[in-house]
Amino acid sequence: MSATEAALLRLDRINSFYGPVQVHFDLSMEVRAGQIVCLLGGNASGKSTTMKTILGLQRPRSGQVWFDGAEITGLPTPAIIRRGIGSVPEARRLFGAMTVRENLLMGAYTRSDRAAIAQDEERVLALFPRLRERLKQKAGTMSGGEQQMLAMARALMGRPKLIVMDEPTMGLSPLFVDRVLALIETINREGVTIFMVEQNASLALGIAHYGYVLQTGQIALDGPAAALLRDPRIRDAYLGGTTAA
Amino acid sequence: MNAWFDYTVNGFVIGNIYALLAVGLALIYGVANLVNFAHGSVYVVGAYVGWAAITYLGTPLPLTILCVVIVSALVGVGIERIGLRPLHGSSRIAPLLATIGITLVLDQIVQLIFSPDPRAVPMQVPEWRIPLGGGTIGALDLLIAGIGLVSAVVLYGFLRFTKLGWAVRATAQDSDAALQMGVDINKVNMAVFAIASALGGLSGLLVGMYYNQISPAMSFEATLKGIVALIIGGLGNVPGAIAGSLILGLTESYGIALFGTSYRNLFAFVVLIAMLVWRPNGLFAGRRSLPPEPMTGTFITRSRPLKVPRWAVVAIIVVAALLPLTGHPYLLQIGANSLLYAMLALSLTLVAGTVGQISLGHAALLAIGGYASGLLALDGGWPVALAMPAAGLITAALGTALVFPAFRLTGHYVSIATLGIGEIVSLVILNWTGLTHGAIGLGGIPPLEIFGYDFGSVESTYWLSLVVLVLLALLQVRLLNSHLGRSWRAIRDDSVAARSYGVVGDRYKALAFGYGGFAAGISGAITAHIYSYINHETFSASISILALTMVILGGLGNVLGAVLGATLLIALPEAFRDLAEYRILIYGVVLLLLIRFRPQGLLGTV
Repeated sequence: MSATEAALLRLDRINSFYGPVQVHFDLSMEVRAGQIVCLLGGNASGKSTTMKTILGLQRPRSGQVWFDGAEITGLPTPAIIRRGIGSVPEARRLFGAMTVRENLLMGAYTRSDRAAIAQDEERVLALFPRLRERLKQKAGTMSGGEQQMLAMARALMGRPKLIVMDEPTMGLSPLFVDRVLALIETINREGVTIFMVEQNASLALGIAHYGYVLQTGQIALDGPAAALLRDPRIRDAYLGGTTAA
Repeated sequence: MNAWFDYTVNGFVIGNIYALLAVGLALIYGVANLVNFAHGSVYVVGAYVGWAAITYLGTPLPLTILCVVIVSALVGVGIERIGLRPLHGSSRIAPLLATIGITLVLDQIVQLIFSPDPRAVPMQVPEWRIPLGGGTIGALDLLIAGIGLVSAVVLYGFLRFTKLGWAVRATAQDSDAALQMGVDINKVNMAVFAIASALGGLSGLLVGMYYNQISPAMSFEATLKGIVALIIGGLGNVPGAIAGSLILGLTESYGIALFGTSYRNLFAFVVLIAMLVWRPNGLFAGRRSLPPEPMTGTFITRSRPLKVPRWAVVAIIVVAALLPLTGHPYLLQIGANSLLYAMLALSLTLVAGTVGQISLGHAALLAIGGYASGLLALDGGWPVALAMPAAGLITAALGTALVFPAFRLTGHYVSIATLGIGEIVSLVILNWTGLTHGAIGLGGIPPLEIFGYDFGSVESTYWLSLVVLVLLALLQVRLLNSHLGRSWRAIRDDSVAARSYGVVGDRYKALAFGYGGFAAGISGAITAHIYSYINHETFSASISILALTMVILGGLGNVLGAVLGATLLIALPEAFRDLAEYRILIYGVVLLLLIRFRPQGLLGTV
């Protein structure tokens, strides 16, 4: 198996509960290195819990999470982040009262190589030139689109192997949605694997290599993104109402 | 003119001391969403460590400060490990209650080691004073100002320029997001508790030097003053806490200049309540309304209450009624005491458990009831049989009116407000000499006597208390099973949802405080007539905490649980009289163990 073929992240027969309610039923999936993989699903399908399970914010009752060849099930979140996962949380969750620069440096919190951090800061700012103009501004005072860019830039600052994104296009204007998607592709081309949870199936599949469809805690469908886009079941269930082709 | 300069200097110095306390409280509130009620204990520990270092080791000032900082920081780390970390994921109010338990334990330990008597801290600063602007400034004033300033600068540098400092700020803003950046929240909490406690301990040392006296009893007041300063500046706002402290120090100093020393604390608490009513977010926040409480977890631990069959309850009442036949006066006295506390616990379990307003000033209701009945009988010449129910009604009305301004508050703010209101009641009793006889107290209150029948004997006191308690408990059970009870619980569980279903929170809270005030007022009234002497300290804040422990022990909201909790906490320490010295320590440990291992109490929450 070549390096790009190997699964960077693998969920193996996960069963999660939220109180007495079971959220995941033997959920298994994998994210191959170098790809953009999206997880689609409606409300209450278990998307966010999948995210929490990967990040160690919620412990599954059974099943395993593997990352980069090692099991990370049950590890505390900081330990998982240190292994090379960056997070772009739902609704961005920036540190609003801290400056843009401080937010970026928080992204590099697990690292101590000052020189390399400074280099990465330059690299990230080249990717997001808008942020350079606002380095000293409080993060909470920026527009929603700018905040989403900062959230992605912040995740990149940890020099992760994998970035997990929870609904990165939520609440953005159509113009910013396109830019955010383009940036996700750019980040991916630079060698970072992306796992994103999205409700907007057509947009997500448009940039992804592979897709999973989650339905009431189980994978209902999966396959290469292009195939899923053509799949009539997807078109009926998820793309029916959207205007995008 | 000269005097005013001195009062200003004094205000600034006291303000600096408060700032060292309040900054720590603000940091802790920031990262942990917790008002640390054990903060005053750290302050006491700091003062005593300083005293011990100077007295036994003869340390010079810098070394004294170092000792205080290190020991206090370690105590802070301990508080985090016991009071916060194990309670992750439990009910919102659990860590606050845990810090109350810790403060009981720590204060008692200090008292056991160093005795409750005040100690004089040896002066380690030259005694010269510089005449300036018509007044004088002493070396100690400068030292305190200097330490305040240096601490502020160091803290600013830490938060602004160090990685751990960023982590502290990030955690304060969004702990979940900080976690996803790889921040170890436990480490952040530990660091913050260490820093906050080091500053708090330092504050205790300086206060000891300034007033040249320390005692374990200063803990409670220090916590309160720190909280007042914190509220003035806005919960969690570090620069605000400094400004709030200086404002509080100056207000107190000028207040003393104008009205006298016994008004000092009254000023602090009136400022507190005024802030909570008009600017609950602090002086420096733009918003007027409170931010919503974090919705994680329920307010109280849910559980299925233990079903006690009706015949068992009847049997318990019958056994209790037959207890006087044993002819043990000592036993009956404990029994009567338990019954009177049980009335207070009934009242608190309704307010704190059923309606979810964790009151920390419930003893004030006893005081109002006791004084009302005592004064009506003594100065008004009313028969005791009329004075007592009247006292119940007065307490219901007055208690509700006093808490009314705090009705729109939730969670921590309710606890802080009720604590402040409780202190205000005690201070008004102390200062309103014309009505309450002031500091002399109320002596010669007529004994219990109802329509010519003397209830002065232990047996009859016991029986009377039992009858009153059973009536109150039955009424409360009726209420809880009615529409009213459901509305109360709805307000506790989700006030927004309750409101959207047309349940007007204020009206129902008023009914709860009214009924609770009545029960507690009657208890206070009976107590006053039994004691025949009460003063402003008879019903102290420690009784409020004890009552809360009883209620948690029995199970919040649980009527039978309240009675059981009161009986256990009053009777058990009597059974182990040799341990009397450790009584408060035991209460504290019981509280801590309950919160950690059985938060639903013995009989379960309702």
